[in-house]
Amino acid sequence: MSSLIWYLYDFARKAWIEGFTNAKSKHDIVEKPSRFRDFPEVKKELCIGCGACTSSCPSPNAIKLIRETDDEHKEGLTFPVINKSACIRCGFCAEVCPTNPKTLLCGENHLIHPEFNIIPSQREFIVDNFLCIKCKKCIKQCPVDAIDVVDDKVQVDPLKCISCEQCLDVCPVNGAMKGLYIDNLEDQKKLILLVVNTLEKFIEKEDDKLRNLPKDSLVNLEFPLSNIWDKAMEIIPDEKIALDIIINTISRLKIRTIDWNSDECKKCQLCIGECPTGAISFDKQKDTIVRDSNKCLRCSICYQTCPFGVIKYFISKFSINLNEDDEYIIYITVKASQLDNDLLRG
Amino acid sequence: MLDAIKDVVRKSSIHVCIVNCGGCNGCDVELVALLSPRYDLEQYGIYVHNNPREADVLLLTGAVTEQWIENLRRIYTKAPEPKIVVAVGNCPQSGDVFNQEGGKVHAPASDFIPVDAEIPGCPPRPSEILEAILTVAPGAIASKGRNQK
Repeated sequence: MSSLIWYLYDFARKAWIEGFTNAKSKHDIVEKPSRFRDFPEVKKELCIGCGACTSSCPSPNAIKLIRETDDEHKEGLTFPVINKSACIRCGFCAEVCPTNPKTLLCGENHLIHPEFNIIPSQREFIVDNFLCIKCKKCIKQCPVDAIDVVDDKVQVDPLKCISCEQCLDVCPVNGAMKGLYIDNLEDQKKLILLVVNTLEKFIEKEDDKLRNLPKDSLVNLEFPLSNIWDKAMEIIPDEKIALDIIINTISRLKIRTIDWNSDECKKCQLCIGECPTGAISFDKQKDTIVRDSNKCLRCSICYQTCPFGVIKYFISKFSINLNEDDEYIIYITVKASQLDNDLLRG
Repeated sequence: MLDAIKDVVRKSSIHVCIVNCGGCNGCDVELVALLSPRYDLEQYGIYVHNNPREADVLLLTGAVTEQWIENLRRIYTKAPEPKIVVAVGNCPQSGDVFNQEGGKVHAPASDFIPVDAEIPGCPPRPSEILEAILTVAPGAIASKGRNQK
């Protein structure tokens, strides 16, 4: 035991003396490891002056394209210059540099070139993991093995996918496998807006039926798709794509409607102060309450506020199907909000 | 004789105050790593006090924000002479990613107080910070001490 203590004491004494006279960190601590991504290197002869590095750089002052002055023999070179006191060593500039070999070098991890094997397609297939029941029918069906389970989630590999659309047909859950059209997103937005706005106006027109609706009962309405089909064709001329988008929109759509019987309104103006967006205002000249439906969020606060039950709040759901004459009909189910019941039940 | 002793003492014992004038804390984490046993800042005779009244070296991190302009000047005046200021990381030097158009940072810090040394990097490696303090601080402090006389 005593020898062990002596050994420790001796060891500590020597280490102390060594450390006192010759304090320095070990070599491997001071040196940068080989994987360390340092400031980018510039090979200025290769630069084509495209400016991709400057626009990709997240730091405003880090990278500048400069041009040398011309002399008698040749034009001056254009090349990027890295300002080390602003560069964050992220390596984005090296990643985006299009020259081959690269003008900018920054670490090894940004020089991977994935092979380009995407078949040009209008659609991108995405699995909605909220709806997916993981039956794996799509995995069995896929002819190129593009679908796989990653991290307990079914995923489609876009590099392998050949857009055969078989997974869409085989999927038992409506909407779990999505084939998104990626070319015309703006047009799709317009089409969805058109469908939603026309349906909302159609429901608001039927206010006679809605106002007399007894509690816990429904109103069924039918809206033929041919009414808006010409307008839809103007936005997206492809019939199949337009129909797909309309069906996808409608199957998950829920429209909330606020109805207002202005004859019964007592003009107490309680709802004006409660409206979070200021959509409700009082028109003094005409002596009525005015609701701006563009500002309205359909949040139902006015319906909850109104002490006389003048404001009504309805929720509509939709489905689309073919009828006997092979025409698409949008079936609308409107029911009065059960919000008061829900609140009472707590 | 007294100056010579002062020079020796100042070279081997440096007191440091970290001033974070509104940064993302990345550089501060690297500075804390310096205190850890792996890098062991204190073996070089460098002590982190975080009290400007005792400091020889002010380590600035962070792009200077609106509130820090006055405080930075105050802290600088509180540090006793001879003192040096080291800008750690890119933020006090150029504002880095925070210096966007319409941003509210007032980089560089050298607009408000004199900066003696700059360590580039976002954040710099702990060994780089250590190297910079060790190469700059003793000489600068000693020479500044002489200039005061």
